[in-house]
Amino acid sequence: MKKFTTLFTALAILVGFASCTKKEEETGKTLNIAVSADIKGMDPIYANDRYSSNEVGRVYEGLLEYHYLKRPYTLVPNLAESMPTVSEDGLTYTFKIKEGVLFHDDAAFPNGKGRELVAEDFVYSIKRLADPKLQGLGWWLLDGKVKGLNEWREKHSDLPKVDYDEVVEGLKATGKYTLEFKLTKPFPQFLYSLAMPFTFATAREVVEKYGQEFLNHPVGTGPFILPTFKQTKKVVYTKNPNFRKKLYPSEASEEFKAAGFLADAGKELPLVDRVVVNVIIESQPRWLNFLKGKVDFISIPKDNFDSAVTPDRNLSPEYKEKGISLLINPSLDVTYTAFNHDLKLFQNADLRRAMSLAYDVKKSNELFYNNTSLPAQSVVPPGIAGNIPNYTSPYRGPNIEEAKKLLAKAGYPEGKGLPEITYDCPSGTVSRQIGDYMKQQLAQIGVRIKVVTNPWPELQKKITKRQVMLYGIAWGADYPDAENFLQLLYGPNKAPGANGSGYNNPEFNKLFKTASIMQDSPERTALYEKMNRIAAEQAPWIYGVHRQNFTLRHSFLKNYMSTDFETGQAQYLNIDTKMKAKAVEKL
Amino acid sequence: MNLWQYILRRLFYIIPTILGVALIIFVIFNVVAPDPALIMLGKHATVAQIAELRNELGLNKPMWAQYLDIVKSAFTFEFGRSWTTKQEIIQMIKNGAIPSLTLTLPAFILSTVIAISISLVVSFFRGKWIDKCAVFFCVLLMSVTSLAYILFGQWFFAYKLGWFEISGYESGFPNFIPYVVLPIIIWIILSIGPDVRFYRTVMLDEIYQDYVRTAKAKGLSERVILFKHVLKNAMIPIITFVVIQIPFLILGALLLESFFSIPGLGGITLNGVYNSDFPVIKAMTILTAMAYIIFSVITDVLYTVVDPRVRLK
Repeated sequence: MKKFTTLFTALAILVGFASCTKKEEETGKTLNIAVSADIKGMDPIYANDRYSSNEVGRVYEGLLEYHYLKRPYTLVPNLAESMPTVSEDGLTYTFKIKEGVLFHDDAAFPNGKGRELVAEDFVYSIKRLADPKLQGLGWWLLDGKVKGLNEWREKHSDLPKVDYDEVVEGLKATGKYTLEFKLTKPFPQFLYSLAMPFTFATAREVVEKYGQEFLNHPVGTGPFILPTFKQTKKVVYTKNPNFRKKLYPSEASEEFKAAGFLADAGKELPLVDRVVVNVIIESQPRWLNFLKGKVDFISIPKDNFDSAVTPDRNLSPEYKEKGISLLINPSLDVTYTAFNHDLKLFQNADLRRAMSLAYDVKKSNELFYNNTSLPAQSVVPPGIAGNIPNYTSPYRGPNIEEAKKLLAKAGYPEGKGLPEITYDCPSGTVSRQIGDYMKQQLAQIGVRIKVVTNPWPELQKKITKRQVMLYGIAWGADYPDAENFLQLLYGPNKAPGANGSGYNNPEFNKLFKTASIMQDSPERTALYEKMNRIAAEQAPWIYGVHRQNFTLRHSFLKNYMSTDFETGQAQYLNIDTKMKAKAVEKL
Repeated sequence: MNLWQYILRRLFYIIPTILGVALIIFVIFNVVAPDPALIMLGKHATVAQIAELRNELGLNKPMWAQYLDIVKSAFTFEFGRSWTTKQEIIQMIKNGAIPSLTLTLPAFILSTVIAISISLVVSFFRGKWIDKCAVFFCVLLMSVTSLAYILFGQWFFAYKLGWFEISGYESGFPNFIPYVVLPIIIWIILSIGPDVRFYRTVMLDEIYQDYVRTAKAKGLSERVILFKHVLKNAMIPIITFVVIQIPFLILGALLLESFFSIPGLGGITLNGVYNSDFPVIKAMTILTAMAYIIFSVITDVLYTVVDPRVRLK
């Protein structure tokens, strides 16, 4: 028994030690963020997921950014001095970049002092994205769009070394602070590329000094510094002491003005001294850390939704008392069930319409999204030009009678003569349940469905190889332009391009081609709306929902809003330390 | 045979084993794994980009050359970089192994010592109420899923009572201690059930042997019999059970690491498989196979230490 006593005493001491250990008190303002996936690395050209691009955006910056307080999303200059001048033919974009912007201090620079950013840095950074040896994951953004860049890439893919000094016609620094892009054809969405982390400015000497380890040595011009990145569960950034004088915006959309977002107007950015990013993959610890005040905001995990939000979409009183507030924000996305249009079966529009009418989207919203989403009427989500407010698709279910009629018109009365249709979806409980729900809904009109779950890469492979009949999937916006959604139905984009369903409608294609080279204008919006209507009436997909983010934030976190483009957001956020001290006592 | 000769000969088996393991993972990867280029390029993949990326990843090389690459990396320990994270794999393993071990090693040692001690006690009182209660509690502990212990432990002890950190990790001693105590306790609770039942069976097998009866006839006390004779004789199955678990400790504890945000190796293989990240899968499989062989040699050597009758051939 003596052994046991010793053991348990040791354990008790350990427990005591654990609870008594107190960490050093932090000074200044610290922003605490929790993310739900590991961060891959800090190289802008590989930042193709939300998590990595947000981290890259704390250290690096681009020519443009989205205005923090304006909706609809509006591009404004960031490292550019002003918006570019565009030639009449829409092919040449000339940027003047800000003078006196410094890179973070690093051993790669003479005396370890960060040098000034020049236009040539953007030429270099964009060439890195096009470098065939590096296989940057954002190449799709510029593929075929910048004069001479594809040729440069192709030429170097067979050479042992990539020559960054070789001039590319469409990508030149015409002066120390002047940058010129020449496009192969008009592409109005080009400017959005320059607000994405893929094209953010890196310094050549840093990349060359660290070689393959560059992804762990982020050196940008941004508001925060991270001397070395280590793949771990906690990343700590500190304020860049040499950050240029960038001010919190003084203008805002009415909704933000009314919500008090201009309180910090005119203050120098960033507003906090440290940003601590905690990687917490599981939802329970993320939630508990938020409730303890160790994380400043959180997207409500599914399992905690009912305890936090009342049926009338308000915050539970229990949380209100703790000074927590609820933010609801539609996200620019669409969920859908796509037909494989390569199959003759689904070239029958009446069959597609019948299946669409049989599907009860409201019920599915209740079952799978806690009734938080907006039923999609077509492909373009609300909040961007091209979405038609208050429009209802004629084939939005449920209307079983009409669905049965259309099914008979399609040549399959009560489903007779129809083969069993496989429905492929990602593995995971909710996706499978959505599949089962689809099966149950379509059974009402006699359509037999077999649900097949796949690991995500496997599903992707099946779609690319056209081995699917029906499949459930979603699309999130890369940039706030309807083109990014409508391209999913553009014939020439057929899989393995973005058009996984292989829908090919000559009328739609013609409209898309015309709109794709037009600058933002009422005429272009009219074309977008026309395409959106075709996409509803032809039912190339069974539309699902546009999801909404339900986010909670603590009262001491200021200027926070849920946004689709979070890159760079941390610099605008503020912490009221006095309020935090009081609030944490209550938690 | 000389002990060193035996060890060398056994270690030599690593070569055919690694060749075999390399072949198996190579075949599995090429037959069933989804195209890594497709996963990496994600929703913007095009035919040309997929082809280009496959070329850069070396997936267009002849099959034999790809197989040779695996074998070469196994013997040089140059596993290259992860296709997904672009991080150096050896560095990823080094970074993750220590946090994993700070959790798994103390948890493993404590749970083994506690389980063996409880087994000795219950074997001493075999058939009595204390033994029955112990077996009952073991079965009870085993009937609850591991996730339930984690969720409850984290919510109650860390959040409600505030005794422990909810999640997180700080490197360096003693900074990591507050973060690993709760997961260690949960590990112990999780393993105590099956471990006690195993050790108890091993002890009871010994207790009914003739030498125990002889010892009793000689008038030795139960305590001496248990600690001096039974425990020593039960060592062979105990060693087998214990040592063979050690290589897997380095691999970490997937669920515990994930819930407590410990930056260990728990998820590395799983993420590798999920993303078709072949260099990671290759490194982890080969290293595990090697560790398994090395620790099975250690087990054999330990047999000779605890039981002089065992001869290595």
